[in-house]
Amino acid sequence: MIIRFMRPLVVGAILFSLLACSESPPVFHESERPLRLSDWNLFDLSEEQLTPSAASMVFHPANQLFTDYAHKMRTLWIPQGLQAQLLDDEIHYPVGTVISKTFYYPRNSEGQLLKTTDPGNEAITLQENLLVETRLLVHRESGWDAFPYVWNQEQNEAFLRVAGTSQAVALKTDNSESDDSDDLDFMYFVPNENQCSGCHTTDHPGGGMRPLGAIANQLSSTISDGRGEISNQTVAMMEKGWLSQQAADAATISWRNESASLEDRALAYLDIHCAHCHNPKGAADTSGLFLDGSSSDIVSMGICKPPVAAGGGAGNLQYSIVPSEPDQSILVYRMESSEPDEMMPELGRSLIHSEGVQLIRQWISAMSGSCQN
Amino acid sequence: MENINSRSIKLLGISLVTGIFLTACGSEEPAMPELSFEESLQEQLIQAQSGDVIEIPAGTHDMTRSLSLTVPGVTIRGAGMDASILSFKNQIQGAEGLLVSADDFVIEDLAIEDTVGDALKINESTNVVVRRVRTEWTGGALTTNGAYGIYPVQTENVLIDGAVAIGASDAGIYVGQSTQIIVRNSRAEYNVAGIEIENSTFADVYDNIATNNTGGILVFDLPNLPVQGGRNTRVFNNQIVSNNTANFAPEGNIVGTVPAGTGLMVLANDNIEVFGNEFDNNQTAHALVVSYLINEIPFDDPNYDPFPEAIYIHNNQFSNGGKNPDSDPLNMLKEATGQAIPDIVWDGMMIPGKQGKDIICLGDNGGASFVNLDAANGFAEPSFDAAAHQCTLPNLSVISLSPAE
Repeated sequence: MIIRFMRPLVVGAILFSLLACSESPPVFHESERPLRLSDWNLFDLSEEQLTPSAASMVFHPANQLFTDYAHKMRTLWIPQGLQAQLLDDEIHYPVGTVISKTFYYPRNSEGQLLKTTDPGNEAITLQENLLVETRLLVHRESGWDAFPYVWNQEQNEAFLRVAGTSQAVALKTDNSESDDSDDLDFMYFVPNENQCSGCHTTDHPGGGMRPLGAIANQLSSTISDGRGEISNQTVAMMEKGWLSQQAADAATISWRNESASLEDRALAYLDIHCAHCHNPKGAADTSGLFLDGSSSDIVSMGICKPPVAAGGGAGNLQYSIVPSEPDQSILVYRMESSEPDEMMPELGRSLIHSEGVQLIRQWISAMSGSCQN
Repeated sequence: MENINSRSIKLLGISLVTGIFLTACGSEEPAMPELSFEESLQEQLIQAQSGDVIEIPAGTHDMTRSLSLTVPGVTIRGAGMDASILSFKNQIQGAEGLLVSADDFVIEDLAIEDTVGDALKINESTNVVVRRVRTEWTGGALTTNGAYGIYPVQTENVLIDGAVAIGASDAGIYVGQSTQIIVRNSRAEYNVAGIEIENSTFADVYDNIATNNTGGILVFDLPNLPVQGGRNTRVFNNQIVSNNTANFAPEGNIVGTVPAGTGLMVLANDNIEVFGNEFDNNQTAHALVVSYLINEIPFDDPNYDPFPEAIYIHNNQFSNGGKNPDSDPLNMLKEATGQAIPDIVWDGMMIPGKQGKDIICLGDNGGASFVNLDAANGFAEPSFDAAAHQCTLPNLSVISLSPAE
């Protein structure tokens, strides 16, 4: 009896919420570029919080990219009745799939933004956070399209900014409000649509965009790096009817996972931050530096590799990586730079990622050998 | 049913109290943001359709972020290289001024100034025309300038015509890892390398002026790159004059090894034809032909051939060069001979079994002087015997890019 009553109750709620413009399922726009994020119905936005549509699934990639300490909430939605396919250990999403990533910063009671570790929230409270941008990856007949939406000051809508935007951000580095000197002041950049494809087109230039987070090895690995224990998320996709079977458990390592080996963590860091361009088919294949872990040739990995067209990015140094000499390694120099023409990655950060730098420094320090003939 | 009703009423109550859907429903529409010229231009580039011409009006347009284009078949057109200026003096993001990855691309009649990194980078594109475009760092020859001015890389069918490139801390006009290339009627000035063809095949470089660079024209092949085996470049009818600017490349870059006062340098390329050029006042040497080994940078690449071969130099004019070489071994040579450095310089390194003629073949160059530095033996016995290199080679074929031309 109770179960029977449930259905009309849900229908009633949906009918009502259509009125309220919330809780109706997300909408797939086949070709246009909707100007407002709300046109997609991906979220329920109240004065208190931004909540993903119940029809979506919040997901957590095993290994994550640094974006100026922004926190990220990611959602996946596949229209009802459609299914993704598992082929060759990869998830092939149907046309109509919408993936979102919302970037936000936590803030204290005085409204100051904070540098904290991303806890992997599945909803964003507006009292305690500032919404910055929501990026969509939409699978259309012609392939994946990217749309950057930027939240307004009122925090009641995000608008499509095809050309991206920038805004000044100050982050407090701890919660004690006494010392301002540790604030991180920087320009936060929302990418333009071409810059989205700068990372999401890993087979450059003809391969088209593809998701980087909602992929099999990112979703089917067990996560244990401070976000709590998360196991194979393709099981939840199966339960939603989006997959007919789960993906085999993968072993993608998070660079944040301190129980993993130094080398595994360093390679995981380079993979997620560099390999979308620095792979044998990527936009940065012109450099001959491949950081996707596919290369068995140590020169291609950067060890004792001279720069090609790095310009000032070479930092007056001879090689990408000099074993045991992080200060002599261009890789470290470019990670420690925030000059637009020198820094790596080129996109996605204005700040120096000190935790990442430290990891790569440790890895290089632990290498043996030298670059002398 | 009672339950449902009471539930609905309760929800309605909450909504009214908190005013949730005022925003979500748009009864009070949040205002659309306004776009700057820069944002509008980038938006146009993104939303362009094949066949579109995007006009850059006359004036100096301030850009703060890299521009980019990925749509094929687009033309970007200004009102002249001194009229329509995209100024990146205040650039805060992006490693280049304009980044293009699109086939059938034309850019003409505009200038790109003062980018933090490369000015115009064209990556992995086919059928590219850069016509009457100026790239310039307006503060002069500074190490802090961006690396490349006009920079097609991994491209095919590239025409650079009537361009001007000034102040690049690496190369003004740099074509890398490309094939089927014409660079003509252009002027490269106050760059480290004026015009550089690197790891590329089938290029014609002619009717250009390369002056006041560190090195005028470079034809290089480097190891550890996805595209290598540079060959088949013709360098002809250029004025390669007064390239004596002190090298201002950041250290660690290969062009940082180019001595100031270099007219032409051919490094590790094969099948190069150099003719009809006017070389004047290049005070290290007018024409240098060297192997990668001369840089003493170790390399590990089994597929790489570090030696040049079949470099055919004929019918050039050489005058007034080699009097102030920016190179220790060449200075020693000058001291030892009491003479200016010869017009044509070869490091003398080659694969065992080859002859000097296989590397450098000299036609009639109006009595030009020559030296083989004997670099492999620590410059022990330089030879000035041009006769050992007298020969002719078949002329290389003309590069034709129709219909791009």
